Amino acid sequence: MAATSKATIPSSSTIHGSISTLNNPKLLEMSYYFTILSPTDTPLFNIAFGTSKGGGDGIARFRFPETAQYMNQFIIHSSLDILEEAQWTNGGMYLKHIDTYPPAAAYITAFLTPSGARFLLLHQPPNLPSSTSTTSGLGSSSLLGTAGSTTRASSSSIAANPTSPQTEEAVRQFMNEVYENYVKTAMNPFYKQGMEIKSPVFRARVNAAGKKWL
Amino acid sequence: MTSPGDAAPVKPPPSFSPGVARVASTSPSRYPGEHEGTQSLDAELAESQRVSSPNPLSASIADLPIRSGSSHSRSGRSSTPQLARSSIGSPFDGRSDGFDDTRSSIIRSFSPTIAVHASEDTDNLVRNKGFKGGFWELVRPFGETVSGKVVIRDSIGSSRAWEDYGVRFVDFKGLGRAPASRDSGVLAQMEEVLTKQLNSSDGMFDTSIRTKDVLGFPATTSLCKSFLQQLLCSAPTAPHETFGHPVANVIVISSRNPAPLETLRQLYADGTTGDKQLPDWVNEEYLRYYVLVHDEERDDITESIKLYDQMKRHFGLHCHLLRLRSSQCVVTDDDSMQVPQCEWLSPAEHLSGAEALVDLGTDGTPYLFGSDATAIRAFIRELVVQSVIPFMENKVAVWNDQVASRRRGISGRFMSMSRRWAGFGSSSRSSIGGSSGGNSGNYDPTQHSYSPDSPEAILRKMADFAFMLRDWKLAASTYDMIRSDFGNDKAWKYHAGAHEMCAVSMLLNPLATSGKIKLDSVDQMFETACYSYLTRCSDAPHALRCLSLAVELLKSRGGSATESAAKWAMRVMDFGLVGSLGQIIYTERVAACYASKTPVGAAKWGGRRRKAGMWSMLAADQWLKAGQPTLASACLEEAEHLYADVLPADGVFPMPEMQNFVETLRHSVKVEYLESRGFDVRDEPASEDLLGTEETSEKLDMRHHRRSLIGLPVQLDAGAFNTTQGPLDLESLPNDDFERA
Repeated sequence: MAATSKATIPSSSTIHGSISTLNNPKLLEMSYYFTILSPTDTPLFNIAFGTSKGGGDGIARFRFPETAQYMNQFIIHSSLDILEEAQWTNGGMYLKHIDTYPPAAAYITAFLTPSGARFLLLHQPPNLPSSTSTTSGLGSSSLLGTAGSTTRASSSSIAANPTSPQTEEAVRQFMNEVYENYVKTAMNPFYKQGMEIKSPVFRARVNAAGKKWL
Repeated sequence: MTSPGDAAPVKPPPSFSPGVARVASTSPSRYPGEHEGTQSLDAELAESQRVSSPNPLSASIADLPIRSGSSHSRSGRSSTPQLARSSIGSPFDGRSDGFDDTRSSIIRSFSPTIAVHASEDTDNLVRNKGFKGGFWELVRPFGETVSGKVVIRDSIGSSRAWEDYGVRFVDFKGLGRAPASRDSGVLAQMEEVLTKQLNSSDGMFDTSIRTKDVLGFPATTSLCKSFLQQLLCSAPTAPHETFGHPVANVIVISSRNPAPLETLRQLYADGTTGDKQLPDWVNEEYLRYYVLVHDEERDDITESIKLYDQMKRHFGLHCHLLRLRSSQCVVTDDDSMQVPQCEWLSPAEHLSGAEALVDLGTDGTPYLFGSDATAIRAFIRELVVQSVIPFMENKVAVWNDQVASRRRGISGRFMSMSRRWAGFGSSSRSSIGGSSGGNSGNYDPTQHSYSPDSPEAILRKMADFAFMLRDWKLAASTYDMIRSDFGNDKAWKYHAGAHEMCAVSMLLNPLATSGKIKLDSVDQMFETACYSYLTRCSDAPHALRCLSLAVELLKSRGGSATESAAKWAMRVMDFGLVGSLGQIIYTERVAACYASKTPVGAAKWGGRRRKAGMWSMLAADQWLKAGQPTLASACLEEAEHLYADVLPADGVFPMPEMQNFVETLRHSVKVEYLESRGFDVRDEPASEDLLGTEETSEKLDMRHHRRSLIGLPVQLDAGAFNTTQGPLDLESLPNDDFERA
């Protein structure tokens, strides 16, 4: 093993360890960042939340909190490249998982509305400490216990796997509920298309949908 | 004993013993048939590619007796009707494969290794000329590019001329004895070289050095190129791949030698016995080439010619008389020329070379007489074109015929299956016999190597030879054939190497289609190779080489392959194979991979501009943190360029935090860039204002804020204006786009 990689392992694992729910039994908490974009890519609505199911406290814990603010937006913005391609090949409104940003293990799921607004959900599984990743056949015994093996480990457990059918279904329910509320909000006579959604009711309802499904 | 008459004890090398030549002459007639059945399309293409014989070079080679075996086979084949249809002027003829810079340097990095074994008197002669390393150091830079075209025939008999062929000369004494401790330090050394390059030539890696490709996006940066080159040539001689094993051994004596034939015999014997012997796993069947260096200034040419004739009589045609002047050349001499720089320097040599340059000042590079350089070039051309290439072609043909075809046939498959399941049948094929159990036939787990005469090792060597002869189709099929064998034997390094090279040769093969299924299998092979290297063998340098090759070759494929190229580049960072500066370089690579995916059609479909822009921004941020504002500003400029197409308005990002981040980045890049150029930014009232009110002014009016940034360099004097070229472009380019849109 090279000296360089040795040097990076402890530093990265300590960072991850401090962020991730190291001593928390609820290891399957995901962090979510939800955005509604107008057809001209202007953000209409943003919200960040965490898993509420299974005893989660509903608070987002992104892996790199110091950069998460802009990185989440960068990641979502860059996934528009894929979205623009996927919207022509996929007939449905719900486009499922379209993009991944491996360095932060961020997964993007998209939903299209007929008016051209895009719902984008970024979900990020927590960074599992490698000691608990015994389920993984290949990755856990890897010589480099870096993020690579841990992401593989976390994605192999069903509940935390952002691309599993269960997750896709849960996100679909969430998206549908948000869509319903979005339509109601957009029909408000004081709301003009392309305006930022500031309604506290809408925010509360999205939050509730997140609690309910994710 | 030493009389010229009974110099017989020097056994003629096996390469030019008549038996081998005869086998070679029969072999090609057998295997073209095999290929034609399955790959008729390729055969047709290769046929159209064939520049039929009016090549003076190949004709002259064919006249030589040594080529008799192959020239017979050629004429035999040309009697077949399909050869008569060969066309000249197909699109393949003129195209050199150097159309892509990175691709060409990858191809050249896998060039044949030629060991140089010089006598003491020769090394002394050359040291007088100012080359401390002896004869090896003198010829090495010239070997990297063989002058003129080199014509190589591939396994189906078509010839192709290569402009950029090269060989790598290594010192015989250092071969196979690379210290094992260095193995782990290669990556650290590369990081050190990077740091040095950045510090020593801060202004040198300017934006102007970046080579722009057609679209105006940088294809490679010079840093990245040198990183890749070091990576490719840093692999030590290892059992599991034969690129570092000598294809030929050049035995050199000089005219000063008192007992020339005795010395030659001694040097020959060094290769097979004694403490200078090569490791066990190196195949001993390499070509021996004999060179007599004649000292033009001190010795009599008639004596040397007499000796040379004697050598020719004893050793056959693999001989050369090299006439050099023995005095040192200085710049002021009439005929002086600078010795070309070595392109392929390992990280260790980079480090020691940099120190040497500091010591000697400007007098680091030696000079050489023009006549000497011409003589050396002619020598290398003759060595490569008339001896090394034909030798390798013969070997490939022989092994293909004797080992590979047997393995390919139905009985060979049955043999390998029975060996895998039962454990009998291994004794009939393995030449050393008596192995440690039926399962792991010829593999020696204690030495982690196969013996060089086992079929697995020979097939690997044959594939490597084919690869070095740029016959990627044969190489890929051979690697493909043996890669599962290595897995069965649990020879994990061999397993990884075969998977890696199989994928690489499939990607290099210009005729292979870039179908989706092909790419999937290539990806799978890289995955396996990387896993075997890293997890099973913990060999980080090879894993990094494998992944870097994957990135560069997939990127040069274009289309959907660029996405997997980006994926592999991210994997490099993810595995932590590179240090902090390496991380930034790979961040840039990801951006370059995405940028090279061009949108198609009027709807600008399938581009990856936003992704490329994001990665460029990240690279700029990281360069800034690493204290390299020049590089950061180049990346930032590139990012703005990439974003220009996709943003609704020039330089304005729709998302507020993104906008904040970019504004801050722009500002700090500008400030640090100016500071690094020696301007004290705090003296400027405008910048003072900027530093103080940065947060609020952004929120009030972002566009206006950018204008105030532009104003900054204008307030400086004219000299400052010129030096701040980078940031100025940064501002002006997106503005143009805005006006167009």
